[in-house]
Amino acid sequence: MDALGYVWAGILAVFQGPEAFALLGIGVSITLIMVISGFVLGIIVGATPGLGGPIAMAIALPILISAFGFTPDALLPVMGFLIGIMKGATIGGAVPAILFNTPGTPDSYMTTLDGFPMAQRGEARKALRIAHFSSASGDTFSDIVLIVCAPSLALLVEAYLDLPEKTALLILSLSFIAAVVGGSVGKGLISAGLGLLAVYVGTGEDFYPRLSMGTDVLNRGFPIATAVLGVLIVGAVFHQMALAHADRIRSVTRPTAPAEMGASLEWPQIRRLLPVIARSAVAGTVIGALPGIGSTLAATIGYATAKARYARRKAPGDPAFGDGAPEGIAATEAANSSVSGANLIPVLSLGIPGNTAAVFLILAAESIGGFNPGPSVFKFSTDSVNPELVIAFGLFTCMFVANLMNWTIGGVIMRSMGFLVRIPKHQLLPVVLVLTLTAIYVQETRMEAVWFTIAFGVLGFGMRLLDISPLPFVIAFILGGKLEDSARQAFAATGGDAWFLFTSPIAATFMALSVLVVILGLRRT
Amino acid sequence: MTRQSQIALGLGCAAFAVLTLAVWIPLDTDTGLIETVRRRTAIGDAFAPTLAAGFILIGGLLTALSRAVPGGTEDAPRRALRFGAIMLAILIGGFFIALYAGPIAVALYNLGAAEPLEYRLLRGSFPWKYIGFVLGGIFAITGSIALAEGRLTRRAVLIGIGGVLGMIVLFDIPFDDLLLPPNGDY
Repeated sequence: MDALGYVWAGILAVFQGPEAFALLGIGVSITLIMVISGFVLGIIVGATPGLGGPIAMAIALPILISAFGFTPDALLPVMGFLIGIMKGATIGGAVPAILFNTPGTPDSYMTTLDGFPMAQRGEARKALRIAHFSSASGDTFSDIVLIVCAPSLALLVEAYLDLPEKTALLILSLSFIAAVVGGSVGKGLISAGLGLLAVYVGTGEDFYPRLSMGTDVLNRGFPIATAVLGVLIVGAVFHQMALAHADRIRSVTRPTAPAEMGASLEWPQIRRLLPVIARSAVAGTVIGALPGIGSTLAATIGYATAKARYARRKAPGDPAFGDGAPEGIAATEAANSSVSGANLIPVLSLGIPGNTAAVFLILAAESIGGFNPGPSVFKFSTDSVNPELVIAFGLFTCMFVANLMNWTIGGVIMRSMGFLVRIPKHQLLPVVLVLTLTAIYVQETRMEAVWFTIAFGVLGFGMRLLDISPLPFVIAFILGGKLEDSARQAFAATGGDAWFLFTSPIAATFMALSVLVVILGLRRT
Repeated sequence: MTRQSQIALGLGCAAFAVLTLAVWIPLDTDTGLIETVRRRTAIGDAFAPTLAAGFILIGGLLTALSRAVPGGTEDAPRRALRFGAIMLAILIGGFFIALYAGPIAVALYNLGAAEPLEYRLLRGSFPWKYIGFVLGGIFAITGSIALAEGRLTRRAVLIGIGGVLGMIVLFDIPFDDLLLPPNGDY
């Protein structure tokens, strides 16, 4: 099969895959339905403060796996649903940010700075439309970059990187994530080290499961879902509940909706915003392609860059950034949305997750089987069909279906979700907590898994209290096994050379960069 | 977080890493960093955990020695910690109720029954399979809401009941092969 054949096969896998129902005699694919449902759910959770894409993905995953099973046919519907959530949550977060000065997701915090003043001026409708247009534009641009870059990068990796270089690349990724995520390199390294240590418990090549302290409980290790969901979701719920409790003590008032929604957005205004959107989309895409740097930083950089430029060029009567400038919303939303496609570049081309959404996609792929994100996915074999490549192009198709939804119905759904901000966080989160633990239990069917998840949740809560980002922990947990396997194979392949990470120029460069990012991170903080 | 807390955190992590390197890894792995078996040299099981402990050690020392002045006070994290500890107790309590309520209910039923029942055989049948999950789930949800609100309200109880019923609809009714907590353990 040639390259175009693979692209076409991926598109057909989405549109002609297993049928959900027939409409006027035409079969509607289940994958299509799942992408659309995920997208709508994503907007809902994004617009609900305290929830967000990761929580929805965590709860949905075991249910989806139970519904679709562990066959290759399950990959596209399940991953399509997760992609839908990822994209929907990004635009949903802007709604409470603009209408109620309450960011639905952390990356929409900057949207409050100009969105809320606009809403107070009676321009809520315009602010929401700017947010939607910028978000959809950034997202689409980012997806195009993903589709162009991921296969090329994977082919480069396969052509030039051998086992020692791949090991060094994994070490570089971990150092990079530890150095850039959160505010402190030291804390990032602690988080990554704990993640590595946790994944090595109960594993290894000997008969004795290492670090298990001779106990039956630890000799099978920690299931990946318990560590990921524990640290990311249970820890976040504990933290959010503690914050809600503190808000109650401080008697924080509940937000009220603006009285007047105002006029809509017109084409001359859109044209004026296009350069801002384009610059932010490029910045967000570049940032998103680097593992570990999330949409919050992209939004901050997009906003700060646009603010500096706007201050030099704005007309005397225009509002400044922070006082309700439409450019502020456009810059933030284009930047944070353009991260979502780009941060799948390291996942699909290298197998290295860069953010929480990517973590859940990897979790889905590992749970179902038949798709191992990494450079081997993009083997364009002509003599036989590479099913993983068909799935990869199927995923790209899912992303474009979600984009289409975003451009067509996304704005309408998004603007109707303002009421969700009134759901009290502290009443919703305990349900999410028990739901997450139940989801873990139905997957693992043993109480040990629940206790592990709670224990990891306590760790995640503690990390948040100590300003330690849990993301390096999760990414290290996912990459730990791969890092060890790769190092073992590289060591054996080089005939037991203890300096195998430094003998090839590429591996040595990656190792030098690993040290450099830590040093630069230290200088930054 | 204050400067003192940051130093304590860094040194605590470094001490944990040293203990891991000096005690846990050597005593709890069968092979060392590098192993040679039948003239074949390979990486041993201790290598990867040593790398992990190395990350923690360096991270701990960098945190302790960091000159950056962290903001914040001790009060907020301390309050959050206290809140988290109580919520954890409620959650664990809820799952303990889930674990034992079903068997206790069967034991109570057996007191007046001619033919004694066994929970293990009833774990998939109505109403027995729901007893633990419903009671434990409602306790955990309602208890957590009550903790955050500082009082027990009817609304919190209703959310607990609604939440648990929703989960039964989500996980149990559509799937024959899924077991709600704690039925897989019996």
